[in-house]
Amino acid sequence: MATNVMLQQAAGTLQLLSSCGIHFRVGNNSVRFPPKDLRAKRGSNCFGEKEFSVIQASALFPSNEESLKKSNEAALILIRHGESLWNEKNLFTGCVDVPLTHKGAGEAIEAGKRISNIPVDVIFTSVLIRAQMTAMLAMTQHRHKKVPIFIHDENEQARLWSQIHSEDAIKQSIPVITAWKLNERMYGELQGLNKQETAYRFGKEKVHDWRRSYDIPPPNGESLEMCARRAVAYFKDEIEPQLLSGKNVMIAAHGNSLRSIIMYLDKLTTQEVISLELSTGIPMLYIFKEGKFTRRGSPIAPTEAGVYAYTTRLAQYRQKLDEMLH
Amino acid sequence: MANAMLHQSVGTLQLLGNSGTHCEIRNNSVKLIPKGFKVEVGVSKRGIYSSGEGKLGVIRASASQTSVVDPVLAPSNNGIHESRTKSNEVALILIRHGESLWNEKNLFTGCVDVPLTKKGVEEAIEAGRRISNIPVDMIYTSALIRAQMTAMLAMTQHRRKKVSIIMHNESEQAKAWSQIYSEETIKQSVPVITAWQLNERMYGGLQGLNKQETAERFGKEKVHEWRRSYDIPPPNGESLEMCAQRAVAYFKDNIEPQLQSGKNVMIAAHGNSLRSIIMYLDKLTSQEVISLELSTGIPMLYIFKEENFIRRGSPVAPTETGVYAYTRVCNLLSASFSICLGSP
Repeated sequence: MATNVMLQQAAGTLQLLSSCGIHFRVGNNSVRFPPKDLRAKRGSNCFGEKEFSVIQASALFPSNEESLKKSNEAALILIRHGESLWNEKNLFTGCVDVPLTHKGAGEAIEAGKRISNIPVDVIFTSVLIRAQMTAMLAMTQHRHKKVPIFIHDENEQARLWSQIHSEDAIKQSIPVITAWKLNERMYGELQGLNKQETAYRFGKEKVHDWRRSYDIPPPNGESLEMCARRAVAYFKDEIEPQLLSGKNVMIAAHGNSLRSIIMYLDKLTTQEVISLELSTGIPMLYIFKEGKFTRRGSPIAPTEAGVYAYTTRLAQYRQKLDEMLH
Repeated sequence: MANAMLHQSVGTLQLLGNSGTHCEIRNNSVKLIPKGFKVEVGVSKRGIYSSGEGKLGVIRASASQTSVVDPVLAPSNNGIHESRTKSNEVALILIRHGESLWNEKNLFTGCVDVPLTKKGVEEAIEAGRRISNIPVDMIYTSALIRAQMTAMLAMTQHRRKKVSIIMHNESEQAKAWSQIYSEETIKQSVPVITAWQLNERMYGGLQGLNKQETAERFGKEKVHEWRRSYDIPPPNGESLEMCAQRAVAYFKDNIEPQLQSGKNVMIAAHGNSLRSIIMYLDKLTSQEVISLELSTGIPMLYIFKEENFIRRGSPVAPTETGVYAYTRVCNLLSASFSICLGSP
């Protein structure tokens, strides 16, 4: 790996470490940073090249700057939101913007505890409040102190009004990008209907078709195939490039949009995706490495003994978080 | 006048009905269902009134008109939105969101869309408990997640089983995709409308800056001016006056008509946008509004009646004793009620 790249990544790392005033051993040299800003300029050689060979050239703390280089691996977390008020009432929800119940809020916080040690650099959610709240509630549990900030670009004024005028604050932020393409499958004329009623009205068979087939849409709605098309396209166009550039990503979305993405990640057949059920509030971790997605199951909450490390890099990240607290 | 008393008494009947009390009203016996929400009541300073004819004579067992009444008590009366006649009084709840992640870091936030901290989440839930018994037919929030989350978290505590639903009209597709196809379901929903006009004051070039740093950079005086004057905006930002202009205009154009048509409204927003609205509701001067500090997470209740806004303070959580009543008749009846129960 080019030393230049290592230097840049190390600089990003050093920024974070230095802001905590950490005493840091590099090679044979002890480097002490004053607790306030070390702004190592990119490409500066205040530190000799040799000294950086001991730092693994993987994005330990990937910086937020635009021009990130290809990194070894990145974490991808998928979270399906928990119980919404219409789940509770057993109504078809689809793209109706129904919020979480008290229980759903609890599920989000629980999910957050499970991923509190996994790095997150950018968050994607749908435009529906239940996914957005899930993401934000989960992040209240995160151990690192970066701040999620919703990006507004619905019009010029929104963009202007939400501008941040501090480099520091920007660096310490995690952009949250909302996208309708990550919305739940649009259920057309079934939205708001009681599941029982609908079965009576249209017949159990038809409803089963709409709910569980791959390509039969409900009246004026989307089939799973249609949902998958726009969700996966969005993933490939907007999310995968982030992972490629070394950013750790979290996606908070819905049963069908996430299934669609998993279909792509795990290369599932249509038959397999139909029978795929995602637990709510249980985060799923993937490691993106060398263009491949490796499924790593569900992180267990830190309080449980026997938590395993997914990769050396993540274990180191967690260690750094532990050290930061002392 | 009798009409007003009717509305108030119906509210009272709800209280009695809450415990399944058999209530003698004039010549009619009315048995009230143990469901329905409680109205917070306490002992009146004016002393105890007996259930004498003078005050209670006009109570009739009819729960059809007032919008202060929760339709749970009269389940057949489902015409919440469409067939609502002009009502005498409605509730207006204002909630300022709690701690955000930048409050914690002491950074100027303004219109940067920063979410709540754990503490802010709890403040929202606590606020929700306090208003869990006050009817809500419509919700207005800003375009910022911290206000929206505050509203939604508060509503998870609401006792009435209506469902908040966020309205989407940013595009034709958004509108089409969020449509509901069941009349019944629509009736059971509380529309949530998001509006940038209810956003926090836009802090321009200060957004994201550390409050300490800014004082060092621009001088304490200047910063104090920007923060605490009425009409001096920070660079490229809004003054409180400018914020008030768009917030109050929005309130008059969109929210007040709802109140006039009998809808109970909740507004979840920010320090400055809410101060601006209160300035309008309480007819404050610019001097007064500058020194007005709103607590976070403590809901403020106003009663809108005959085109007037009457400030009713902060509802206290149902578990606390000594909560005061909002209207006179409720007060009277509750006093006699608590005597019956032998409560303190």
